[in-house]
Amino acid sequence: MKHAAIFFHYISQYMKTRLTYRVDMLMEIMSDLLFQAVNLIFILVVFGHTQLLSGWSRDEIIFIYGFFLVPFAIFGAFFNIWDFNERYIVKGEMDRILTRPVHSLFQIILERMELESLFGMITGLAVMIYAGSRLDLSISWYDPFVFLIMVIGGAFVYAGIFVLLASISFWSDSRTSIIPMMYNIGNYGRYPVDIYNKVIRFILTWILPFAFVGVYPSAYFLGREDWYGYAFLTPVVGFAFFALSVFVWNIGVTKYRGAGN
Amino acid sequence: MNNDHVIHVENLRKDFKSHSSRPGLKGAFRDLFNRNYSIISAVKDLSFDVKQGEMVGYIGENGAGKSTSIKMLTGILTPTNGEVMVNGMNPHKEREKFVRSIGVVFGQRSQLWWDIAVQESFKLLKKVYNVSDEDYDRHMNHVIESLDIGPLLDKPVRKLSLGQRMRCELAAALLHNPPLLFLDEPTIGLDVLVKLKIRNFLKEMNEKYKTTILLTTHDLTDIEALCDRVIMLDEGQIIYDGALKKLRSNWGEGKQIEFQFAEQQTKETLSPLLDELDSEWSEGKRKNVWVANVVNDENVISEVIGRVVAAHRITDIKIHEVSTEEIIRNIYEEGVIHGQIH
Repeated sequence: MKHAAIFFHYISQYMKTRLTYRVDMLMEIMSDLLFQAVNLIFILVVFGHTQLLSGWSRDEIIFIYGFFLVPFAIFGAFFNIWDFNERYIVKGEMDRILTRPVHSLFQIILERMELESLFGMITGLAVMIYAGSRLDLSISWYDPFVFLIMVIGGAFVYAGIFVLLASISFWSDSRTSIIPMMYNIGNYGRYPVDIYNKVIRFILTWILPFAFVGVYPSAYFLGREDWYGYAFLTPVVGFAFFALSVFVWNIGVTKYRGAGN
Repeated sequence: MNNDHVIHVENLRKDFKSHSSRPGLKGAFRDLFNRNYSIISAVKDLSFDVKQGEMVGYIGENGAGKSTSIKMLTGILTPTNGEVMVNGMNPHKEREKFVRSIGVVFGQRSQLWWDIAVQESFKLLKKVYNVSDEDYDRHMNHVIESLDIGPLLDKPVRKLSLGQRMRCELAAALLHNPPLLFLDEPTIGLDVLVKLKIRNFLKEMNEKYKTTILLTTHDLTDIEALCDRVIMLDEGQIIYDGALKKLRSNWGEGKQIEFQFAEQQTKETLSPLLDELDSEWSEGKRKNVWVANVVNDENVISEVIGRVVAAHRITDIKIHEVSTEEIIRNIYEEGVIHGQIH
């Protein structure tokens, strides 16, 4: 309850800050929407050339891509921690975080949120509706709720992996290029994993479970019953990974060395 | 443990593991596989207690372990060894509950949000600390008035001057009216008027709420104005813990008599004058100036002046008291105080 109150207070503060720079905000929204539109066209053009990919039709692949964009947008809005090492460890901002009576990770999420990323959800939904209508998918009354759970699960998978990576900074504050690399690996989750070799598929399922952000949950909506087991594991894997990452984070905080003065 | 101790520290220790790189390309390759680690103790077996309502000056040179020990007291760092109890809690173990009972100001680091107005920052902190409206109004109206920051409240932090910002930082740290306040270099870079304002305010808080204050600073005038007690650190250990007055009387008991002679003098010509007086000559900064370092005793002072004036012609004479800064510099140069610690 207290966390929710703080969360909404931060959001309103965030809005206020953005509103003080009215022109900037308008420009930013415009450019975000434009970017998403270009993205949408790009997706349709690129996938226009594919027809069938090991048993997946063009529209199915587009649908998976569209679904992926939704949890990814939520992740982008709230887990901007790719520069955690630089910003909080090297510059010592973590000191300030640790003198406040709220969980440190929660504070960083609140401080670093970028709500503009949520526009990506619109693109994702548009792509899904486009592909879904061509595939003639039937929607039952509970599907929106399943969708919500799958999206949250997928966003938690992403969040878990990146929080784990950020936690490394507590042990070693040297710069690594692991985070940009991970963004690349994350992209593999946008495509059906059975097009990859077995080892990569195993990695994307159990080690860096990016497949739970795109292809597995989408399989449920595409009616691919042989994949349902994986599909329903999405929220479980999401919560498990996120819980693990918070656990490691908490240990990391006790190893924090502080910035040298 | 005594209950009226706000801070209780026993054998507190913090080690940092650091790796030293070998020289050259070959060394860099070897480092890749087998690193040389060395353990550096930033804080070694620190023990002290602070009672409620005390204002303690925490001093030491850079790297003496001030910051590290303060970070352990505020729950930011986990101690390697030893016991810390602050406000009856273990800072790093119950961090979220513990930090409600302290206020922290780091002079070089802002607690406020850069882009939003000061009062919006206060509102956010009020939410974070879960302070009720009544408590906030009762306490903060007074704080805002004493620090004279009313007119600054609707300005964004980035538009404030350093002095204005510092006063707002202080107000932010006191928003939840903590019984214990940690101030790390709160007056760094501030002009004299702002410094005075902040000192008066701290004194007032201390009197009104019995707020305990632990203060680190490079500016000893802050300590002289506020603190009765000083803790001096060197190389991670306490080298003096006691009253500032005692430090002065033990160490500042000497006086310096500065003579400007009309003719050139050497140590040889002057030395006989101080026979049996337990005093010493040192050369002054200007030409023909010599300083006699004597004990603070009226007979000795009169005797020295009498002998010098009788023997040589002088053009000027000044008597100086030893400043706190000099005392502290002397202590650091000598390491430990004449075996008179505590």
